Amino acid sequence: MEPMDPQLKTPAAPPGTVQLPAPTTWPIVLAFGVTLLSAGLVTSASVSILGAILTLTGCVGWFRDVLPHEKHVTVRVAAEVPVVATSRREIARLPIAPELPRALLPLETYPISAGIKGGLAGSGAMAILACLYGILKQGSIWYPINLLAATVYGQSLKFGAASLNAFHLSSFSLAVLIHLTTSLLVGLLYGAMLPMFPRRPILLGGVIAPIFWTGLIHSVLGLINPLLDERIDWRWFIASQFAFGIVAGLVVVRQARVRIRQFVPFVMRAGIETPGMMAEKPGKDRPR
Amino acid sequence: MSSDSIALNPALESTRPIGDRLHDWVTTVDHKKLGILYILYALVFLVIGGIEATIMRIQLIVPHNHFVSPQVFNEMFTMHGTTMIFFVAMPIMFGFANYLLPLMIGARDMAFPRLNAWSFWLAAFGGLLLYFSFIGGNGLYGAGGAPDVGWFAYAPLTARVFSIGHSTDFWTLGLLVSGIGSIGTAANIAATVLCLRCPGMTLGKMPLLAWMNLVMAALVLLAISPLTAAQIMLSLDRYLGAHFFDTQAGGSAVIWMHFFWIFGHPEVYVLVIPAFAFASEIIPVFSRKPIFGYPVMVAATVAIGFVSFTVWAHHMFTVGMSSYANSFFTISTMIVGVPTGIKIFNWIGTMWGGKIEFKTPMLFCIGFLFQFLIAGLTGIMLAVAPFDWQLGNSYFVVAHFHYVIVGAILFALFAAFYYWFPKMSGRMYNERLGKWHFWLFLIGFHLTFDFMHIPGLLGMPRRIYTYEPGRGWDIWNLIITVGVFFQAAGILLFVCNLLWSRIKGPVCTSDPWDAWTLEWSTSSPPPEYNFAAIPVVRSRRPLWDIKHPEDPDWKYE
Repeated sequence: MEPMDPQLKTPAAPPGTVQLPAPTTWPIVLAFGVTLLSAGLVTSASVSILGAILTLTGCVGWFRDVLPHEKHVTVRVAAEVPVVATSRREIARLPIAPELPRALLPLETYPISAGIKGGLAGSGAMAILACLYGILKQGSIWYPINLLAATVYGQSLKFGAASLNAFHLSSFSLAVLIHLTTSLLVGLLYGAMLPMFPRRPILLGGVIAPIFWTGLIHSVLGLINPLLDERIDWRWFIASQFAFGIVAGLVVVRQARVRIRQFVPFVMRAGIETPGMMAEKPGKDRPR
Repeated sequence: MSSDSIALNPALESTRPIGDRLHDWVTTVDHKKLGILYILYALVFLVIGGIEATIMRIQLIVPHNHFVSPQVFNEMFTMHGTTMIFFVAMPIMFGFANYLLPLMIGARDMAFPRLNAWSFWLAAFGGLLLYFSFIGGNGLYGAGGAPDVGWFAYAPLTARVFSIGHSTDFWTLGLLVSGIGSIGTAANIAATVLCLRCPGMTLGKMPLLAWMNLVMAALVLLAISPLTAAQIMLSLDRYLGAHFFDTQAGGSAVIWMHFFWIFGHPEVYVLVIPAFAFASEIIPVFSRKPIFGYPVMVAATVAIGFVSFTVWAHHMFTVGMSSYANSFFTISTMIVGVPTGIKIFNWIGTMWGGKIEFKTPMLFCIGFLFQFLIAGLTGIMLAVAPFDWQLGNSYFVVAHFHYVIVGAILFALFAAFYYWFPKMSGRMYNERLGKWHFWLFLIGFHLTFDFMHIPGLLGMPRRIYTYEPGRGWDIWNLIITVGVFFQAAGILLFVCNLLWSRIKGPVCTSDPWDAWTLEWSTSSPPPEYNFAAIPVVRSRRPLWDIKHPEDPDWKYE
């Protein structure tokens, strides 16, 4: 039995040659037939009939090309193969981790728990300021809570001033959910990003990021939700953003950093059992 | 054994009769030849589509102009849009995918070589069928000519009562035929990437170009089907009296919009993801650094692919949808900005600290990078429904999507042309002419499409045939048209450069850029079998491993 080429499913080529699919006329004939078949709809039935004949001919020819075995040609391989080489022998390296020839940055990061703690602490600081604003400026602690709920619950804004100052269980539940979810997500983001900006992380997380975020919200809220935009006090808004950023940043940077596992496949970092990749634990894994 | 044995000698190739050589091209199933056929065919249509754009811009250069009639103007914008999307951008991307994928993944050919040839010829004949409408579109009623219903052919304009003759039918059938070819090519690309990778090339070690073309192929398979369905429904409406889009008989014109845009928006990503692929291959080589964040780039591409199917109705804000639909499509459109932003960050991260060589391909990539950023920002603006209500169907929208198609996709394509031209032809292009092309095209592009935002903001609607003087649009239209001539001059230089270099350019080595992917390990141009022996790889940069055995990548992947 002749050896088979695994890619072409045909008998293997003699040494020094390669087998390739043979050129064929049938694809163009079939394509032309299909086109004429369609073109006949807007020209003449005779065009469609010609198209049908060509389509049928193309199909038969194509089948005969590939059945029972694909036709192929044998091509001689050139004796000379290009040499892969470079004139650039020198490799420059960034002086970050002298002990490592290559490194994934950052070398150390915060654990996920740091982001959660930071997010929760920041959410507390922000909530205190927001409630303070409600009591001092609007005369009700529920005002900022109803306003936060209004970001997704548009009916809140139609309550009127008196109703915005009152307690509503649905608005309260929604506001708590939004506040906690967003705070946790931003806290996690801080935990992941602050190690990438080792110089003055609090300045970035507590001042610069809130300024950008407030600027973005201030510029687009009038377009997205003009009713909500009218009721926002931007000085208190940015103050609460600063409070969140500074407190969350301080909590995150006080956590102990952990060294990242350099160049370990994702499946291993994710703790997924990967036979052949992870070392077997002595006495725990059954011998195979 | 059913094989014909031939021995090809490249030295004798040029002495063969032209008829024989032509026969070789017509009957070829070689992915490289089919790739070049796709590219050449798309370039011919690029010139045709460019001429149509120029005619439109000359018409709009001054108020009250009558360079062409309103009917011809309608035909020009319809044919320009249809040609550029379906017969330039898509085929050219398929051409590069065809040429490069087997070479980059260490295969001898595409998975289905005959299907590949069939798909190409269907695409080619589809284009010819569309353009036959210029002479055959009159049909039985003596009306019409080329299609004139806009490239998205909204109902009820396409109904028989408003579009008599056969012009719309040519549009439908031309796209239907080429669409079948597109689906064939996409299936072929997906099968090739998934099944024909060389030993050692796991999915995590594939070049980014292969990853991105895999995502593009998936998008084509999912997006072309609704368009094909809609075209069949439209044909049924027009020929058999069905009422899918006939609002007078219980049909819905809005359904056509949904069908079209659920194809139309992923189509933008079908075109831009291969442009991302070019940038992801070229920027590292000319920055002399590996790509920054390979896994994140892959994840971002896949994320873009998924999200692109949830944003289509942002093209329909002005139709009047519910507030819930408006909110959903606003948010989903903005979400696309996240993976896209990650990509821009990673390309800049790749360049950061690198030893950048400002060769022509890199210049075009840098142009792509910053123009794509601006295109994305105006896209985010238009994603906000109230903003879109003000500027929908204005020249602001035209400027935005030309920033994507020309500023991003075409710039990346030019980069790809210059980068892989030595591999395809075996000769180097002229660097000086390449740089002239870049600067002329850059100036022309910005003159045209930066200033096109302004008449849009001033209320100039798209597809307008002419306009009254004194509305503040005059000077901007003049500048926009002047920019077109700079772009045309740039394209002319590009064509001359490639033609001259193909014949007279200096012969180049197999690896003129000192690059790292497999296509540079074989001769330029590659032999028809691609590799004398199927390569074995151990990392994402197999040629780096060979060139630097003391510091190979595979130790760290």
